[in-house]
Amino acid sequence: MAAAAPAALAATDRKVPKYRVVSHYQPAAQPGMPGPYPGQVASVHAEKCIDAATEKPDAAVVREMMARGMQALTGDADVRDAWARFITPADVVGIKVNCSGAPGIMSSPVVVAEIVRNLAAVGVKPDSIWIYERFEDQVETVHYDRYVPQGVHIWTAETRRGSAESYDPATYVETAFFDEDDTRSNLIRLVGTRFTKIINVPNMKDHGAAGVTGCLKNIAYGNFSNVARSHSGSVTNTYSFIGTLAAVEPLRSRTVLQVMDGLRGVWHGGPFSPSRKFRFYPKRMLFGTDPVAIDRLLLDIIDDKRKAEHAVSVWDRSAKYLGGDDDHRNNPNVNPFVREPGHIEYAGQLGLGVYDLAKIKVTSVEV
Amino acid sequence: MPLAFLAILLPTLFWDRPVDTADTLRKAGFERLYVPAGREQAWRKEGFAATAFDRAGAVQAVAPTVEYHMDVASATRVPWVDANGWRFEREPGRSFFYDAPAGSAALAAAEAFTYGACAAIRAAPEDLAPFARMLKFLGEIDRPRLPVRANIGVIDDGSDTMAEVLNLLARHNLLFHVIPSADPTYDLTIRNVAEAANPYEFAMKTRRDLTDEKRLLRIYGSNVVLVRLTGDTSQGRVHLLNYGKAAVKGLRVRVSGSYAHGTLTAFAHPGEALEDYSVQDGATEFTIPELGTYAVVDLVLGSK
Repeated sequence: MAAAAPAALAATDRKVPKYRVVSHYQPAAQPGMPGPYPGQVASVHAEKCIDAATEKPDAAVVREMMARGMQALTGDADVRDAWARFITPADVVGIKVNCSGAPGIMSSPVVVAEIVRNLAAVGVKPDSIWIYERFEDQVETVHYDRYVPQGVHIWTAETRRGSAESYDPATYVETAFFDEDDTRSNLIRLVGTRFTKIINVPNMKDHGAAGVTGCLKNIAYGNFSNVARSHSGSVTNTYSFIGTLAAVEPLRSRTVLQVMDGLRGVWHGGPFSPSRKFRFYPKRMLFGTDPVAIDRLLLDIIDDKRKAEHAVSVWDRSAKYLGGDDDHRNNPNVNPFVREPGHIEYAGQLGLGVYDLAKIKVTSVEV
Repeated sequence: MPLAFLAILLPTLFWDRPVDTADTLRKAGFERLYVPAGREQAWRKEGFAATAFDRAGAVQAVAPTVEYHMDVASATRVPWVDANGWRFEREPGRSFFYDAPAGSAALAAAEAFTYGACAAIRAAPEDLAPFARMLKFLGEIDRPRLPVRANIGVIDDGSDTMAEVLNLLARHNLLFHVIPSADPTYDLTIRNVAEAANPYEFAMKTRRDLTDEKRLLRIYGSNVVLVRLTGDTSQGRVHLLNYGKAAVKGLRVRVSGSYAHGTLTAFAHPGEALEDYSVQDGATEFTIPELGTYAVVDLVLGSK
């Protein structure tokens, strides 16, 4: 793993907007984030988990990776016991996938299917499993339905972009970033009314605004409405908004497991991936309950790859690398925003997990 | 008789096509028309209540719509709404004329009705049916007008710059009255157009000076819906105009004041009811499940 961010590059005088968090949900006795394993990550690598030429994953290898990862995280010899630490048969489980880069990169259907299989092994019925995302036009390209048993829900909040009907009007974060009219970002209603547990399945991706997008970005921006308003011009408020959203109840308490799918990755242009030239193949999955610790590792995975490709660091804040979307799509040294990879440390300060690399225990497994 | 003296409650179709189109209008349900001067007798013979309308003497209204200027840099990514509410506020008592392209006549009618404007609407033939349905709907919900509520007073110098400020205030649902002189009953008074070299920034400054907490009405979940609020000491009415092409689902509305209950009447959505109604901290909130072109919410003040 790379060293911490160079101080000169990371230094910034960030202004944190005033947030008003409205929720009538109480936190659980032990919130899911950072959960029972703060500062702990199981990192599983398998060279044969995906064919980089065809981008086809090997389901059997993925199954082995996930079994070993859950065992390493929990210390349980029996994989079912490991899953049963987080999920009971009575739970209604939301699986928060990431499809913003689909069909180039997304929470792999093979990974999601293996999660569903393990949930079934614990006793969760298909009707109590919801694979969900915000945007229908992204999910429909993935076809999760072909990989999971009948009865598993595949659900999106916005069948039409901008539609607010699936969000909870009583659970939101209010702030005005850029004089926008709609100053609220509301939580997906199902998170409060239906799901009792959430499993977060992000990818390993660079992000033009947040620096990287992993556990925190997927659980935050992926569960709230009207979040694109946090960016304007070259300025993004992801530094504080991501952690603020992720900490809202009941999202924080009910997100009990993080399964980072790094079979593929995106080292530039994320969260989208229209071109293969910026995809790479870490062939790694990260398991934990602490989204900050996992994302801290992700930062170095992405930045190391960018360095290897002679691309500017995600930590670089200089204006000379700013440019338009078209340039950004093709040139790894052009970025539309001053990136905010510090959002991970900020989330750590909110109590969502451990940011200090020296305090993160990584259990490495090779399959 | 001057148009201003006619007791016209609803917007009216302006029809300059030949009288042999009378059957088309009858089938669509029209009984009352504005026509070019000199043609009213011919139309009256066909059984229509026809009145001559002076287009040249009317204020030209823009066709209500949304324009998505994706190629234009902006402080926000909000689409541009072409609306006339600010014009009606600025020139009450004038007559307005819409030359409404296909697809916009019903919204034009709702817009003019919302502001109580005297309006003639030249509709495309394919719009006659939806236009007639909207007029029927407006007739059903019409009732004695309540005072218009606003807490920003604007002393209008008549300049083009101030016109744009008024447009932007209306565009951002910052409820205002045009007033002749300073009035302390308003939370904020705008008068100095010299500050409005950048009308957008001026409108946003107005919003910041007022504060969102003091706004009488706010909406969440759309940036193409404009509102008007009327009310007195016992009741209120919220008008909601959707300038977008698609219905807005899950529109959240926040009205200052504690209203015991509200009733939704939505064009083309009969039977639809308010959802997630709440009264808290001196404000009332509710959700419109699906807003088509237009809806009103009638509110009753007091405790349940």
